[in-house]
Amino acid sequence: MTSDQQPLPESQGNRQSIDPVTANVIQGALENIAVEMGHKLMRMSYSSIIRESEDFGAGLVDADGRGLCETPQSTPLQSGPIPGYVRGMRRLFEARGDTFNPGDVIIHNSAYHGASHGPDVAFSVPVFHRDALVGHSVTTAHHLDIGALSPGSCGIVDAMDAYAEGLQFKALKIYDRGKLNAPLWEMLRDNIRASDLVVGDMEAQIAASRIGAERYGALIEHYGLAVVEAASDELMAYSERMMRAAIEKLPDGVYHAITHIDGYLDSPDPAHKNLAIEVTTTIAGSEITVDFTGTAPQVPDRPINMPLEGTTDCAVWLTIRSILLDSEDHGHIPQNSGLTRPITIVAPSGTLVNPIFPAPTIARFCTGNQAADTLMKALAEAVPKQVSAGIGNLHVIAFSGIRDETHWVHMEIHEGSYGGRYGKDGLDAVDTLYANTRNNPIEDLESHLPLRVHRYELRDEACPAGRWRGGIGSIREVEFLEDGGASVEGEGHEYAPWGFAGGDDGKTAGLQYRRASGEVLDLPSKLPNMAAKTGDRVIMIGPCGGGYGDPLERDPHQVLEDVRDGYLSIEGALSDYGVIITAAGDLDEAATTAARRSRRQENRGGK
Amino acid sequence: MQLISVDVGGTFTDLVFADTENNAVLIHKVPTTPDDPSIGALDGIRELCRRNDIEPGAIDHVFHGTTIATNAVLEYDGARTGMITNQGYRDILHIGRHQRPQNYSIMQDIPWQNRPLVRRRHRKVVGGRLAPPTGEVLEPLDEAAVRAAARELRDEGVEAVAVCFLFSYIDPRHEEQAKEIVRDEFPEAFVTTSAAIAPQFREFERFTTAAMNAFIGPKVRRYVENFATGLRQNELTAELHIMGSNGGVATAAMVAERPVMTLLSGPAAGVLGGAWAAAPSGHDRLITFDVGGTSADIGIVIDGDFSESTARDTWIGGYPVLVPMIDIDTIGAGGGSIAYVDDGGAFRVGPHSAGSRPGPAAYVKGGDRPTVTDANLVLGRLDKDNFLGGEMALDEAAAHRVIGELANRLGMDELEAAEGVLTILNSNMTNAIRARTVQKGLDPRGFSLVAFGGAGPLHGAEVAAMLDIPEVIVPTHPGITSAAGLLTTDLKYDQIKTEFQVKGAVDMAKLAADFGQLERELLDQFAADRLSADDVRLVRSGDLRYVGQGYELRVAFPDGTLDKAALAAVWTGFHRLHKADYGHFFPDSPIEIVNIRLTGSGHVPKMGRPAIVGGDSLAHARVRQGTCVFRTDGTLRPFDTVYYQRDALPVDKTLDGPAVLLQRDATTVVPPSWNATLEPSGNIILRHKG
Repeated sequence: MTSDQQPLPESQGNRQSIDPVTANVIQGALENIAVEMGHKLMRMSYSSIIRESEDFGAGLVDADGRGLCETPQSTPLQSGPIPGYVRGMRRLFEARGDTFNPGDVIIHNSAYHGASHGPDVAFSVPVFHRDALVGHSVTTAHHLDIGALSPGSCGIVDAMDAYAEGLQFKALKIYDRGKLNAPLWEMLRDNIRASDLVVGDMEAQIAASRIGAERYGALIEHYGLAVVEAASDELMAYSERMMRAAIEKLPDGVYHAITHIDGYLDSPDPAHKNLAIEVTTTIAGSEITVDFTGTAPQVPDRPINMPLEGTTDCAVWLTIRSILLDSEDHGHIPQNSGLTRPITIVAPSGTLVNPIFPAPTIARFCTGNQAADTLMKALAEAVPKQVSAGIGNLHVIAFSGIRDETHWVHMEIHEGSYGGRYGKDGLDAVDTLYANTRNNPIEDLESHLPLRVHRYELRDEACPAGRWRGGIGSIREVEFLEDGGASVEGEGHEYAPWGFAGGDDGKTAGLQYRRASGEVLDLPSKLPNMAAKTGDRVIMIGPCGGGYGDPLERDPHQVLEDVRDGYLSIEGALSDYGVIITAAGDLDEAATTAARRSRRQENRGGK
Repeated sequence: MQLISVDVGGTFTDLVFADTENNAVLIHKVPTTPDDPSIGALDGIRELCRRNDIEPGAIDHVFHGTTIATNAVLEYDGARTGMITNQGYRDILHIGRHQRPQNYSIMQDIPWQNRPLVRRRHRKVVGGRLAPPTGEVLEPLDEAAVRAAARELRDEGVEAVAVCFLFSYIDPRHEEQAKEIVRDEFPEAFVTTSAAIAPQFREFERFTTAAMNAFIGPKVRRYVENFATGLRQNELTAELHIMGSNGGVATAAMVAERPVMTLLSGPAAGVLGGAWAAAPSGHDRLITFDVGGTSADIGIVIDGDFSESTARDTWIGGYPVLVPMIDIDTIGAGGGSIAYVDDGGAFRVGPHSAGSRPGPAAYVKGGDRPTVTDANLVLGRLDKDNFLGGEMALDEAAAHRVIGELANRLGMDELEAAEGVLTILNSNMTNAIRARTVQKGLDPRGFSLVAFGGAGPLHGAEVAAMLDIPEVIVPTHPGITSAAGLLTTDLKYDQIKTEFQVKGAVDMAKLAADFGQLERELLDQFAADRLSADDVRLVRSGDLRYVGQGYELRVAFPDGTLDKAALAAVWTGFHRLHKADYGHFFPDSPIEIVNIRLTGSGHVPKMGRPAIVGGDSLAHARVRQGTCVFRTDGTLRPFDTVYYQRDALPVDKTLDGPAVLLQRDATTVVPPSWNATLEPSGNIILRHKG
């Protein structure tokens, strides 16, 4: 390619200028590498949390620790933290005086060194070009078990510090210059449950990371290091320009929101429950600052604290990107470190959003998604047409047992739902914000595990009112066919998703346990491992997102459609929407107009 | 025997007539009639017969490629559809896999929620439940509830019903029972069961496939019936065959029953046509590269076999479908792809296309945005007076204007910008080819690229160069390769059964019995099409994975008795494929047979290959000399270039690039450092001289 072409007017700080054609070609090649890594990892892996739920990430990071590309087929909370993992590894290497060498494979999961939390283990392969370190090829994945105090790697809600959460790998070489570190591998195998599956998944990760390193090396060989670096600079500058342009469109100002998490509703300790997450967002020109001052202090002995690097930062980036550069409107924008440059995060040390070691963090999943939701609530004031009303948060459940003297562990993420949106109803029964995993087919589950799913469908008549209604959560009921155990980390039992612009609040989530004897227990959102008997059932009740806009403004025909689809009763149509549907199931438009008029007058009179 | 194929495209309907006695081949093109494509198709047949004095009654077979099913899905224009499913699982179709299609979007729509194939009001639940692994009946089917549901659906005005029960892939008896009851209560309904359509585990995907079959069923059935009636009214007694996505044809009756079989029939015919055209050139590894106005379809053919996409990678209009399809990668890259500078200042090409209306600026039909065709014209690679056989003159000034504007925005020279458009487009197509080759352990350097479609031969050599592919094959009629492909297929049906058997504990008797059952079902289907077992070739395969994995790989199973040795070959084949596809395998891990498959091919007549006469000399074929711009050794510069009339080229005379070969339905570019030779088969072979 010629190098005499002019750089684009806005590009800045390039080591070498790059023509737009080559920049485009290299972008395509980088993304192709990330796609291949993710594709291979997902297909080679064993445990359903990776292969079905897609709770994994893959990407390339350059020599300066900046993210270059990520696989689109993953959940944002896995690929997003990858540059942070690399920065953490590099800090540890520097402190130890260790060096990256060709043939190394590094295992890393330290939540206080960039990892998202302990079960999300990274395998990183350094990439060399003519003896110089030029980048890192990294995969991350949520592993079934990491040797914590109870089986599985979710619902470890009673870990009292970082040591109780399982094995900590602080940037250790599992391969050193190509040679397997066998004792480390053996130790890992000896200290985790279901180790065949976990080790198989880790081998898949290593293979995928090596492929990424090989491809990235070949790309640099083909184009030359200077050209690839210049293209990378331009790709990041491009993403940064897109983000800055989007922020500039917002009115400058300060936007504030507060929401609460359940924490441990059954705990006698007030510091364990009803905890605030507070966000103050300042928009100034093309910069945005997200300040968590006011958020509750860390919970020192319960693992719902979010590592700043790896969870809190990803929650912020994901939310801002999804709202301001919504891919529905903006199409594909390269996901790289340029996107985060205009964003500053202020997270006071010692709070839920920036805990101090060894505060435990393993069950931070739902807390982090609530932080994302709180940020959306703050931004709702600035960009009301680009947000949803409050989202319904998630539950993560570990089912486990022992068969033929070995552990089986199965993790499920039970979905939430979105709030209503400007011009659109909320999405029903989906993963929300920074989570985007997949459920397990019932037919796969029942064919391979001693579990039976008795019900999986939308909640009945649980449709939060709004001009655009909130999304509807689902119910899933699972029976143990053999003795085993269950543990749960969830949120949203106490606090309903927020309604917006006159819409109703959403509906809280729930969790029930029905013993084979018929006894029904209502459980809080955190459940430490509980022994289960054959015939016991876990019933997960998903939350419904908040309504958006005044329900009296909802098109009455749309209300009729909701009644016909069984989302709403005829009585509900009247009480929630002032819409009158005849016994024959038709819309009475005249009566509806009258009912809505008098309802509005009442509302005005009441104020 | 006399054969006709009719391939309905977005703009044109292509027809090919072949007489197998004398190897005669005739081609014809008529405008597509979008409201009812069978009208244009029948007009085309009539015209072709009349112009060539062909007796309609003498035609033995009509092969038809149709997008009627695909369009019904893409345009969400199907029947009001009902569903009968298990109590407790009313919303499997709505919840899906609880994953959002886009990671970074608040305002996205989810196709299966926003455009449900079956609305919730028409999803009826009934008692009855089977359990794995044997299909044990936990709860008998509530027949009264099924009867009531069928009546309700009839009263609600649905036209089609999908019967979908959990674990029906193990034992379809509840679905069959329910189907009989629906038939009884509601005989006019189009009824589909999930096990009949896709007997594989994964309920969301299977139910969606069944619901889609029901959704498009009445429309496709009507279309096929109209077409068959139309043929008879035109005195054609020929047998009608319709192209399926699996690379074979099916009878009209089969398609009327299982329209989901045809969702990818257009691109599948292209892959077949490309492979057929390339065959005489003697290469056993082919990449088919079918580039039209809006999209490029890429397929892989090894030793005459097409790779089939894995069930979990097959999507139509945002919905998953579990039916056998040729593995074809379609990307938004073609002659009409629009080049632009986006909000962040980056240079992009596609996936948006100007299509044929308004089309590229050079068409002067109102298009005012720069496209790939405009860039090709600016670089001299298209001839303004020889486009579509001279039927449409291209406006060079308009192309220069829009490419010049693009260049200004980019701060580039006009020619650099024009060549940049092609480089970006070619790079996008190259990445798609890499994903199907390099990423699956196949080295593209060992392949030949078969370039066809209106724009394939324009880009073939440069795309091949990016991948170090030494050779490009351009078929005789690049623009009608799909229609020709229809005349090269077999009757092809697939049977599948979920097996879930693990290495070390395989119940050989069950495995053999299950293959036996598939064989009987398949031969029954062929018997219904009047083909005996002797005329049918059966091929066994299985979907295997390491125990615990979630994705399967397709492995060949040997014919004959299934014993230990046969299975050993299967296991080895799986390890080898895993290594090739993923770069890694796990020799000590147990392997699970997830599904077994049986594919049957029944012979149907095919077109022959007409001999090519060829012109006298290169000098006779020469049209003019002009200037074409190419990049060599990093420098973009003009070259003196000869334009030839392809139909007049002499056989076996090699010409050096740069050159441009003109013909009615496509233009072939021979860049510098490439040469071109017309083979006796009619194919042009482009070879890199390096």
